[in-house]
Order: sequence, then C-alpha cells, then structure tokens
Amino acid sequence: MFVNHALQEINFKIVYYGPGLSGKTSNLEYIYTKLDPTMRSDLVTLNTREERTLYFDFLQLELGRIKGKKPRFNLYTVPGQAYYQFSRKIILRGVDGVVFVADSQQRRMGENLDSLLDLEKNLIEMGSSLQQLPWVIQYNKRDLPHIESIAAMQKKLNFFGTQYHEAVATKGGAVINTLKAIINEVVSKMTVLVD
Amino acid sequence: MKLAQADNVQKLILSEDIYNGVAKILRELTANTGAKTVVFCESNGYPVTHVGDTKGMDLQAISALAANNFSATAKMASMFGEGSGFKYVFLEGHDTNIYISDVGFNFILLVIFDASIALGMIRIFTKKAIGSLSELLASAKEDEQKSSQFLDLEFKTLLSEELDRSLKL
Repeated sequence: MFVNHALQEINFKIVYYGPGLSGKTSNLEYIYTKLDPTMRSDLVTLNTREERTLYFDFLQLELGRIKGKKPRFNLYTVPGQAYYQFSRKIILRGVDGVVFVADSQQRRMGENLDSLLDLEKNLIEMGSSLQQLPWVIQYNKRDLPHIESIAAMQKKLNFFGTQYHEAVATKGGAVINTLKAIINEVVSKMTVLVD
Repeated sequence: MKLAQADNVQKLILSEDIYNGVAKILRELTANTGAKTVVFCESNGYPVTHVGDTKGMDLQAISALAANNFSATAKMASMFGEGSGFKYVFLEGHDTNIYISDVGFNFILLVIFDASIALGMIRIFTKKAIGSLSELLASAKEDEQKSSQFLDLEFKTLLSEELDRSLKL
C-alpha cells in the first residue's frame, strides 16, 4: 500500500496468479472492456509472439473519492509458465492481495497445485504467506467439458478455506465479483491493522 | 515518509512536506538539464509526482513498466554479484532517451529527455538530484497513526458501496 497525502491517493497492488493459460489475462481484458474509461487506465500487455504473457499485464482501476481519499487499485498478472519464475517474484513485490486463477479442467489440476505452491514459496521468501495475505481463488473455465467438481478443487487447492468464485473469464462470468471480493479483502486487512 | 512492516503488510506513506520537497528538487533538475519530463515513482510503479510535459503519456503505465524493468535489472545485477543492483538503466531512442535511476528508500527516478541533450549532463545533475532526494527522504518522519487513520470501518463500508455502484455492469 502506498499513501500519497499530498495528492490524497491511496494505492493498492493486486496480482492475478495461476498456471499458464488459466485465464489471468482474460480477467483483466474483461475488466478493461467493461469499465467506464474514466475509471481505468489503458491495459498494458507484454506478450510473446505467441500472445502469451511474457512479463506482466497491467491495469489501474480508480474509484471516486472516499473520505477525501482517492483509492487506486493496480492490477497485475504474472506469466504462468514455470520458467518465468523470476518475473513472478518481481511482480509480487509489494503485493497487497492475490487472485489465484485456477483452471478447472481435470488435466490441469497438477499445474494448479504447482502454481499455488510456487506462490506460497515466493510469498514466504518475501516474509509473507497465504495465511497472512488477503487472497481469493477463482475456479475458471467452468463452461468447458471434463472439468473437476468444485468439491474436488476445494479439497485439492483451498487448504486455507479462503473465499472462492466459479468463473468463465472469457465471457465475464464472476470476473467483477472476484475483483470486488479481493478489493474488500485487502481493505478489510488494512482496516483491521488500523483498528 | 514511513515504511512500516505490520503483520507482514507493507505500508509506504509520503507526507505533504516531503512531496513538496521532492517536487522542488525535480523542478531544479528539469531546469538544469532541459529534460522533457522527470517522474518520481515508488518502486512498485506508483507515480508519485512529475515535472514537465506529459502530453500523450500514460504516466501510470510508464511508471509500472519502468519500475518492473528496473526490478528485472536488479535481479540481473544480483546474478553478476552486484548485490546492491545497477545504479541506473539507460534507454536510448532515435528522438527520446530515458534515464532510470535508483533513489533508494523504495523510489526510482525517470528522466525523459531529447536525444540531442548530452547524456553526461543528465548523469551529473541526476546524481546531484538523487543526493538531495536521499537526504530529504532520510530526514522524513511521519506520524503513522495520523497517516493511516482514514482506513477505518467507515472507509471500508463506503468503499464497498462505491464498488457496488461503480462496478454494476
């Protein structure tokens, strides 16, 4: 969190994490296309030639003034492929909350778990952890065939019992609810600290 | 300015006095070098303040890209045994150059200037400005309670209502 008293701004950083092709960029693209342009920045994407995320995607969401302060939420995605581990560590620096985007297809369960463990390992190296950081899970691609049941995914991935949403990010299903959920979680955590 | 680690939540808070001091140093740097734009950013990419022409620039995106670019070079530096990271990154274009430097205290400085301006001059005056900024930031003290006292239950409730209103699609 970064507070700029002179400009009355309060900035939060939210990172969309998860395995490659789970739909992290689709979440940001949907938010970008649906929100009023006065509320958001341009969508910055750094892609490979194959249209896969190379470094990160970035989108800033700005809300109206609340108690005189202007809240800004800086949304980032990380590249999901295993060999971009250093990029993920860089993007996670200063993170206030995480959306873990899991792929619901049965054949991707191993990659979901690997990515979640990678996230936990990186957070621990930063002096944080999934037990301390606000985070939510998004079970994405619920419209595809051969998907895992929610109960099975909960058992495999949600071992801390965090909030989850069932989504179809390409069509927008639950994208906004996931965003609202992580913002509320992040602000709640800050509120608890102050109180 | 205050960097507090409370229950593993990082809070970086910049007071109005420090903000004004930073803006003054940036104005001097711009006047001394003729740089087109100077941007002072938090190291996670939040643009704090800037001086000069920003027409056609998306400062949020530029700051995010510059900050993450700088972090990537810091990682490369550690792989070469340069523990404290590289001091600056220089991007040379046909018409525009960008000089990105580490200020310390979780801040970076972007100097965007015309390619006709000598790099040496930019380096000298940027180094001087970083010295002044470091001094200013090191002397900063902030009452943390005052800084974050707006983050109360009322703020949380109002934000939740604003989210529902703004994100109603």
